Amino acid sequence: MISTTVRGASKPWLLLLPLVLFLSAFFLVPLVQVAMMSVTEPEPGFGNYAHLAEDALYLQVFLNTFLTALGVAVCCLLLGYPLAYLMAQSSPRVAALLMLLVTMSFWTSFLVRTYAWMVLLGNNGPVTALLALLGWDPAPHLLFTRFSSTLAMVHILIPYMVMSLYSVMKRIDPALLRAAESLGAKPWSVFRQVYLPLSAPGMVNGATLVFMICLGFYVTPVLLGSPQEQMVAGLIGTQIEEFLDFGQASAMAMVLLASTLVVLTVYHRRFGLDRLWG
Amino acid sequence: MRLLPRLIGILVAAFIAAPLLIVVPMSFSTAPSLEFPPPGYWLGYYAAYFTDERWTQPTVNSLVIAFGTMLLTMLLVTPATFAVVRHRFLGRGIANLMLTMPMAMPHIVLAIGYYSYLGDLRLTQTHAGVIIAHTALSVPVAFLILSANLKGFDRNLERAAMSLGATPLRTFWHVTLPVLRPGFAISALFAFIQSFDETVVALFISGRESETLPRKMFESIRVQADPVISVVSTLLFAAVVLVVLMPVLWKAARKRRSPTGPSAVARDAAGANAGTAPSDINPCAPSRVQLEA
Repeated sequence: MISTTVRGASKPWLLLLPLVLFLSAFFLVPLVQVAMMSVTEPEPGFGNYAHLAEDALYLQVFLNTFLTALGVAVCCLLLGYPLAYLMAQSSPRVAALLMLLVTMSFWTSFLVRTYAWMVLLGNNGPVTALLALLGWDPAPHLLFTRFSSTLAMVHILIPYMVMSLYSVMKRIDPALLRAAESLGAKPWSVFRQVYLPLSAPGMVNGATLVFMICLGFYVTPVLLGSPQEQMVAGLIGTQIEEFLDFGQASAMAMVLLASTLVVLTVYHRRFGLDRLWG
Repeated sequence: MRLLPRLIGILVAAFIAAPLLIVVPMSFSTAPSLEFPPPGYWLGYYAAYFTDERWTQPTVNSLVIAFGTMLLTMLLVTPATFAVVRHRFLGRGIANLMLTMPMAMPHIVLAIGYYSYLGDLRLTQTHAGVIIAHTALSVPVAFLILSANLKGFDRNLERAAMSLGATPLRTFWHVTLPVLRPGFAISALFAFIQSFDETVVALFISGRESETLPRKMFESIRVQADPVISVVSTLLFAAVVLVVLMPVLWKAARKRRSPTGPSAVARDAAGANAGTAPSDINPCAPSRVQLEA
């Protein structure tokens, strides 16, 4: 009897052991090392964090990052909602076709999509040509601005939003809408008072995901954004590549990590984390 | 449904599609720099991609690293998933958290960690170093997919096998594994793609010796937008289209040939055996939700 209980308790841990050891050695330890570097490089103490709080440049970058992430999340919501709505209301064939498009975009490497925006917005690109045709001559410089990186991030992250919204919308019972209609509600108030609240979980899920991914976005802002208006992740990269300032970079990374975890925790408290990845 | 919301929806779909499609004509362009529409068409940059070692070597590196990541991830995740799904034990919640945590990390944070930690271990600029880092990043996705599949597994199948005298190992090999094959396949595919696409960590740790394709692409976009980049982009996009369309084409092909062909019955039987083919699984389902950007 005793031997079976002992076996019963230790078996799952035996199965877990390789992975737990691996993640401890190659995930937790490097993470702890970042935390350590932030308080030991170049000298022990909280100098790096004090520096972050005092220097207006860092505050500006953090503020910039938050506002950009917020803006991207709002744009994804405003653009993603009509598309997800269209998918939910269309015939299965059309919905599947649109889903295929969203899926393809989702799976295409960030780098490929970033490069595509470089072509589109370049000085010899179609958008500039179109603007010139419309009489905006000389056309404004679009690449390497806040506009170009924000636009590309919206494009890259919108699949997350559409998938979150669609998975909620297709479960909305159409009978509820018909009931509201039969009770005399106008189409707009059916949408506003029945459909919109029912689709709210998808909006929250999508916006949280997009906001979180955007907070730590490195590739697109670095390649398409303005070097004068960096986001946090880009500045962390610069600190390491150009100045080898591991202390300052680690301190910024810890603040970025903490912000991400705060968003996750708030979401978890209100909605439960297991729903977010689903 | 009224016209205006529908119109906006269609415009958004066009907004999603246009940038994906523009890379295709760019790859056949003769222009040495970014220019659209292309001044002329040729295959020169395709030839350049396939013959230039500065592009083929990173491609090979990426394939090797992604394959290694896939193997290591599946070896570690498979037993762990069985433990977490099938057993109730002290610390299960913590184990669950630990297995999904790498997902919530902004990659730039881990990139600094790996840069200094793997540097201490002399693993930067090696394939092994990148495989290790990518495996840590791929664990959550592989775990979530595999555990979703395992939760839906009917354990009576195993009980039946055991009651007929099969040993646990035989049962696992002949019953559990074949039934879960699609789950394993999708899980492994996600781990592979996760590694193949990962940019930020690879940028910091892969160095010249084990340079991955995304790192090479990033550098060449940053420095001078080498026209070969459009060839690589087109090939990557084509691969995505192929993988995403495969289940659809598979289904269509099966539907078309089964009622007419001469030995439709035999094919149907074969089809029934392959009943849980990957075609039943939505390729985008549990997402590559990682803060990989």
